[in-house]
Amino acid sequence: MAIAVEGVVRRYGSFTAVQDLSFAVDRGEIVGLIGPNGAGKTTTLRTLCGILKPTSGRIVIDGHDIGTAPLEAKRRLAFMPDEPHLFEYLTVEEHLRLTARLYAVSDFEARAAALVEELELSGKERSLPGELSRGMRQKVVIACGLVRDTAVLLFDEPLTGLDPIGIRRMRDTITRRAENGAAILLSSHLLHLVEEVCTRVIIMDRGRKIADGTVRELASRADLAAAGSSLEQVFLRVTGHDPTPAA
Amino acid sequence: MIRASVYIITCTARNRMRQRLRRLREPRYLLGAVAGSAYLYFAVFARMRMSSDVAENGAVRRRRALGALLPGLNASGPALFGLLLLVVAAASWVFPARSSLLEFSRAETQFLFPAPLTRRQLLMHRLLRSQIAVLFGAVIMVFAYPGTSGGGRFRAAAGMWILLMIGHVYFTGVTLARAGLRSAHPAGRRIARAPAVVIAAVTAIVGLGVAREIAARPVTTFREAVAALATVSTQGAPQVVLWPFVAAVRPILSDTLEEFARAMPAATVVYVALVLWVLRTDRLFDSAAEDILDRHAREPAKPAARYRALPVGWVLALTGRPETAFVWKGALQTFRVIDRRVLLRVVLVLFWLSAVVVLVPRARGFAQMIGVLTAIGSGFATLMAPQLLRLDLRQDLQHLELLKTWPVRAASVVRGEIIWPALVVTGIAWLLGAVALFFSAAVFSSTEVGWRLSLGIAAMILTPALVFAQYTIHNATALLFPAWVPAGSGRPRGVDAMGQRLILLGATWLLLVLFLAPGAIAGGLLWVAFYRSVGPWILVPAALVCAVIVAVEVLMATEAIGPAYERLDITSVERPE
Repeated sequence: MAIAVEGVVRRYGSFTAVQDLSFAVDRGEIVGLIGPNGAGKTTTLRTLCGILKPTSGRIVIDGHDIGTAPLEAKRRLAFMPDEPHLFEYLTVEEHLRLTARLYAVSDFEARAAALVEELELSGKERSLPGELSRGMRQKVVIACGLVRDTAVLLFDEPLTGLDPIGIRRMRDTITRRAENGAAILLSSHLLHLVEEVCTRVIIMDRGRKIADGTVRELASRADLAAAGSSLEQVFLRVTGHDPTPAA
Repeated sequence: MIRASVYIITCTARNRMRQRLRRLREPRYLLGAVAGSAYLYFAVFARMRMSSDVAENGAVRRRRALGALLPGLNASGPALFGLLLLVVAAASWVFPARSSLLEFSRAETQFLFPAPLTRRQLLMHRLLRSQIAVLFGAVIMVFAYPGTSGGGRFRAAAGMWILLMIGHVYFTGVTLARAGLRSAHPAGRRIARAPAVVIAAVTAIVGLGVAREIAARPVTTFREAVAALATVSTQGAPQVVLWPFVAAVRPILSDTLEEFARAMPAATVVYVALVLWVLRTDRLFDSAAEDILDRHAREPAKPAARYRALPVGWVLALTGRPETAFVWKGALQTFRVIDRRVLLRVVLVLFWLSAVVVLVPRARGFAQMIGVLTAIGSGFATLMAPQLLRLDLRQDLQHLELLKTWPVRAASVVRGEIIWPALVVTGIAWLLGAVALFFSAAVFSSTEVGWRLSLGIAAMILTPALVFAQYTIHNATALLFPAWVPAGSGRPRGVDAMGQRLILLGATWLLLVLFLAPGAIAGGLLWVAFYRSVGPWILVPAALVCAVIVAVEVLMATEAIGPAYERLDITSVERPE
């Protein structure tokens, strides 16, 4: 398994943001992590990539426990947060170069050129983040994540700020990485995107995992069958926001 | 507009006060509030309880003692400080800085710029808003003023307030005029150029006066240099052209209420004249406002500093130690915020000044002056700059979410973050120290050359040790007590935050003493053992031994605080107000 999460709990003081969460993602899978605001999706992703330490539980990235072998685990994952965190004084090209240096990317020039082209950042290589739109900055963050070969890609709202063409390209990019063998965990509120791109869906609510499976599997679950066949209908039913009574 | 401004100011002040009171529920702020209040009590109120005569006499005694040291200061103090103000005013054209009066917050940009208000009204709003900040700044500065009576403190606060406001408005005018220099209209450029021409003319008249004075009487000591400047600034044409500058500083330097009452009207006239000048540059303000709007539109987050994508000439290699990547990042940050033309001007001015005092034997007194000032500057850079220049983890904690995902050893992150700012501070301290050493013959003419050189070289060797030790302590504090060290360049305000900073400063200095103790003991032993045989030159190997021991301690400390970085939780980092 590329991602193995075993009984992870994360607390902020007395508040439990993630409660006894377990799941796994295999190489080539695209798993959608969905849930209402405050469900614990971002905390889960931040814990997976080592920004937050789990209060308890174990996270293994491509065979390396992030608690005991953090450097090895971090080398094998890329996290693309919803809020683009960039250094205001480094250009686009310099962000990519810095990432390449820290992750020991050998064929940087060729990779960077291809990524700049793929993410439509051509002509912006020498721009500072302050000179870019939010969507462009989001693309720079994604480019930094993709400039290296990683076993695991974690996306937190990857389409925020992108234009329709950017959204389509990003969708293709994500699919292509999975086809090349990466395990992808993607958090998004855009349910149609999740339904279209993801091979499996995990639904969280109040820190707990409340559903896990393909859209078809979830739709055919006895308690959800009446909700309908779309992910949106399943989501509303499973989180208790569906006005139609359960069958 | 004034009503709206007052509304914004009062709401902001009320909400801020509520927020500060609410945060006192947290122990660290409560502790900070206790420390801050204790400081204010002992620094201000306890002194106020002293007999006003005793306090007043103390202040006068101190000024007389300084006057005895530097003759001419008692009689010509305001003129000399006016001269200093002229230097600052002239420097603002050569070394441009952006006025904070033109720094509209994002909320102000979003609410006020599209509102049906003239640019002049917007400027009035900023002027009004800045009054409170400037007044608070003046009161804080007066707290640090050596013991004097309540009346003396009031005069100092009011004098400081008017001086700061004059400075504030003047720099705004300069910023607007500089924007006007790029105007497409020749008339606009002429209007913008006029104040620069006036300042240049005033500087030329005073400079000519100084040259004449040196030609008439050789200036061989620091005291004579001060006396010469005092003579120039109180006679003839220089006295006339320096009037506005002297008027601005006179209130803060007044010894009695009567002097203060006589000085305030003139200072107020200068202030009003400057406000009128700034408000009349409406057309120029439009172009500056366009710049501001444009910048805010491009930079969604509150900009901590304005960076420009200047080529730095250092391409990061794709392999090597991670520390180098951090140093590269720090270098880019520094060179993209500092205007290299300004840096070149600073070097040229320093070079020109040094060349003049070296080539003109009659101006030897100015050599002493430069020597003393650069030595003080070097000491300040070594001991205080690590507190102020936060291009390390203290600033990068705001990027912790990114840093934590990097596969880099914690100790390497800490070392990488420390190296660049420590190199910058060491470089500045060395540059100033080298100038001081160069002029040391003029300053310490009675001291043997061996002593001067060995002391100077030993100080140079110890400088990086002191600087790196302080950066290590500051970064260790940021990692071990992240809630006490705000991330980024902004800082929490208020008495509680001031108290927190005082506690941290005290702890840092105590730790620095402990950090330096082993090296100092080893160096001291070397001194005791070999001074008789080697003489003053033993200072150099003693400093070297001390520096090596501190370097080893820094390496060990960065390794030791690595686990603190690993444990550091993003939620525990303090965000600035």
